[in-house]
Amino acid sequence: MAGPTKPLPSASLHIVLALLDGELHGYALMGRVAELSDGAVRMGPGTLYGTLNRLVDDKLIEETTDRVPREDNERRRYYQLTASGRAVAVDELVRLQGLVHRIAGHLPGPATA
Amino acid sequence: MSAPPPIGAYRALLRLYPRNFRDEYGPDMALLFADQLRDEPAARVWVRGMVDLAITVPTRHLEAHMNRPATPVVPLLFVVVSLTGVCVALIGGSSLGMLAVGLSVATVTGALAAAAWRHTRPVAVARSATAHWWKFLTGGAGVLVAVIILTTATGEVDDSMWWPMVITVVGALLLLVTGLVLGVARLTGNHPHNARS
Repeated sequence: MAGPTKPLPSASLHIVLALLDGELHGYALMGRVAELSDGAVRMGPGTLYGTLNRLVDDKLIEETTDRVPREDNERRRYYQLTASGRAVAVDELVRLQGLVHRIAGHLPGPATA
Repeated sequence: MSAPPPIGAYRALLRLYPRNFRDEYGPDMALLFADQLRDEPAARVWVRGMVDLAITVPTRHLEAHMNRPATPVVPLLFVVVSLTGVCVALIGGSSLGMLAVGLSVATVTGALAAAAWRHTRPVAVARSATAHWWKFLTGGAGVLVAVIILTTATGEVDDSMWWPMVITVVGALLLLVTGLVLGVARLTGNHPHNARS
């Protein structure tokens, strides 16, 4: 069994978490990331597509554009998590939950965990 | 129906990205930028877009540089000079000066070949290629030891065996130098961690 893996970089983390609900195209993905982060993370096109490129190379996501017919007037590329990408996203969620839980236990004042 | 946002300047700026990246994602990035201009204040989108360009253009170029095809001309030249040094040492081995010069040239240019090799190979390929350095080193050393044992046991080398012997020794030295070059390259190389291997 492999040991603990390194956390994903911030942009990759936000994208794999945003894709947990299903496939999205670039602009929708950007909006979903902004929504999940409460507006704190707003990626530019270069950051978004550079990260998508890396995640595709790492086989954590895959392009699904040609699999189903689209209603878009302009041809957009859709992406979804692969099986290993979904596993990584879930691992990241568990890691973040553990982190929050441990930090909350050490915070002064009323317990919030 | 609203007019399409003016994104010609942004399309022009996309040319700053490496060609492969631009060909793959340029149209999508321009479309995404147009979407943003349609939904958000133009000033905010342009400022964010320029900051994004300033950060990601160098990054994409660095990635392209790291993944570029190997161009091993310079390390090969150093290897040739290094082998020449080995030959000089071998041929002029009876002269201590020739031996020292030959071995010095072979060592220095071998080290330069290792350094140049590291700079011309993609990181992943360099790691896999240099992983077998010890096989070359032990192979060369083994052949040399075998030759020494053989010549010690048989005494004088017969004239008919002279050239096969020279070729064998040169081959063993080539293996040794190759092993040394790859070993130095591996020892001095970085070993980036793969986050998800």
